[in-house]
Amino acid sequence: MASLNIENVEKSFDQTHILKGINMDIRDGEFIILVGPSGCGKSTLMNCIAGLEDVTSGSISIANQDITSVLPKNRDIAMVFQSYALYPNMNVRKNISFGLEIRKLPKDVIANEVDRVAKLLQIEHLLDRKPGQLSGGQRQRVAMGRALARQPKIYLFDEPLSNLDAKLRVEMRTEIKKLHQRLGTTIVYVTHDQIEAMTLADRIAVMKDGHIQQFGSPQEVYDNPANRFVAGFMGSPSMNFIEVLVVQKQDRACIELAIDGITHYLPTPDQEQRVRQMVGQTVILGIRPEQITHVIPHYDDNPGIARVDATVEVIEPTGADTLVLVRMNGQEVNCRVDPYEARQPGQVMTLMLNMGKAVFFDVDSGERI
Amino acid sequence: MTEHNQRRYSDISGRAILYALLGIMALYYLLPLALMIVTSFRSMDEIRMGQLIDWPTQLSLDAWRIAWDQAQIGARSEKGLRPYFINSLLMTLPAVAISTMIGAINGYVLSFWRFKGSNLFFGLLLFGCFIPFQAILLPHATVLGKMGISGSIVGLVFTHVIYGVAFTTLFFRNYYVTIPGELVKAAQLDGAGFWRIFFRIMLPLSTPILTVCVIWQFTQVWNDFLFGVTFSDPSSQPITVGLNNLVNSSTGERRYNVDMAGAIIAALPTLLVYVIAGKYFVRGLTAGSVKG
Repeated sequence: MASLNIENVEKSFDQTHILKGINMDIRDGEFIILVGPSGCGKSTLMNCIAGLEDVTSGSISIANQDITSVLPKNRDIAMVFQSYALYPNMNVRKNISFGLEIRKLPKDVIANEVDRVAKLLQIEHLLDRKPGQLSGGQRQRVAMGRALARQPKIYLFDEPLSNLDAKLRVEMRTEIKKLHQRLGTTIVYVTHDQIEAMTLADRIAVMKDGHIQQFGSPQEVYDNPANRFVAGFMGSPSMNFIEVLVVQKQDRACIELAIDGITHYLPTPDQEQRVRQMVGQTVILGIRPEQITHVIPHYDDNPGIARVDATVEVIEPTGADTLVLVRMNGQEVNCRVDPYEARQPGQVMTLMLNMGKAVFFDVDSGERI
Repeated sequence: MTEHNQRRYSDISGRAILYALLGIMALYYLLPLALMIVTSFRSMDEIRMGQLIDWPTQLSLDAWRIAWDQAQIGARSEKGLRPYFINSLLMTLPAVAISTMIGAINGYVLSFWRFKGSNLFFGLLLFGCFIPFQAILLPHATVLGKMGISGSIVGLVFTHVIYGVAFTTLFFRNYYVTIPGELVKAAQLDGAGFWRIFFRIMLPLSTPILTVCVIWQFTQVWNDFLFGVTFSDPSSQPITVGLNNLVNSSTGERRYNVDMAGAIIAALPTLLVYVIAGKYFVRGLTAGSVKG
């Protein structure tokens, strides 16, 4: 167990800059998720932490000790790989004990450790099998077992669930969360799955193009995205982005929204101060699908609530909710409504917009206003 | 006849044609070998009196005995192919072992421990696969002379290792690039170093390519005539040269039975290697290391 500090880490391969100055302070016992689209540098950052790749500049320290130039084996880090990377020629027991043997631990200590880990992950009955004889989920467990065996300071998980089928992935996700609650070890976990990120993390670092776009708690990242990229990346279906004009109406800054030929003026939320100074300019309104719902009468009194009529274009039932596609300012907008309230395509439906949770972005830079 | 049956019969006749074709091909390839074997068991009298191609009237091992250790080859005091055979063993075994080992290490480095210019290095190494050996005979003879190992078995081993490494490296490198690099990373984090990863993880996974490599190298080195005849002296000549001399140095009548027996003796070890190692040829031992 240890804290992990990453300072100004940069990494380039020849002319390609992969990491462009990463700063992270990770507290002891935190579950950190690195999330981002492929090619954003998250796996490279992981490899740099593990020491499998050298950083070009910057420093990394574990428990306040600089380990930037320490060999991987001396960093006291364990890693679970996307492909599991089990040694195919060794059985499960050997796979788990390999690292312990290299560290020259006494035989009985190794045996105890293997038993402990096997019990923890419920793989006792698999110990004498070869990786080739295991299912995907079992291999995943063994890979975690190998990482757990040394009781290292930090665990690194590199997309550990991406090779599992959907159902198993959800199960293992819960297992990993339980495991972290029980062990309380610092974990850095890479994924491109934003649901995994939301469910597991204490804090999420959203990465793009070698930069950390935002580093905060899941709810913070979800409710208060730093820019349009983060807003669009987190959440499924993704946030709606609508180009709108800011206008002054009855002493209040409003946005102009044309739906089915009728222009509505919706109030900007109180906490979005800066957008109020942008009267006459075009901005991007960001509003999540769940903020545009069917009419819920007792919400009517909430500030920032507005009712609009819109023609339904497409409906996508998901079971719990139905996603309804409408058009606002000529742009497609997803709304999340109750399945029984949803109208058929071509029909007009009354929707309730909650502007209280709306956010605004600059048209050109995509930065939050 | 129903349509179902028609399809059945057309399947069967298709198969029959296929097998007939395969049978003819097999016969075509096996006939010379069969002829060699049959002739080697006939006595010279039989061959002289009767047909050149005929069944032996009685099984005679004389030709084999003569070819092995009685035939006078050139002006040597030791008779028969035996000394050549021993030379070939002394040359082939170390040459195969050393070139395979170096190839494995090269392939391991070129796949998992890339360095600046390693691709260029690999590219240059591949030239070794395409150089016609006739082109390097003279310069190589000079090298062997300077090293003081010309005309010796050590020199031959050295030669075969040098020109075998290009192929063995190619084999191992192409095999190892299919093994996920994460295995090496995992082992590194487990604390294993360069050699431990090689011996504990990579080499145990290499059985299929080791087999391919050994068969290839064994066949190449054992069957080589060019290097054998150029870089040896009478005390270090390999079996291919011995066979050539046996066939060419007989005075008077041509002893077909002895020639055939000698040729089979020269080919036997490569056949043996194929029979023993062939079944490991296509075994995929990496199954299960990654997903799947």
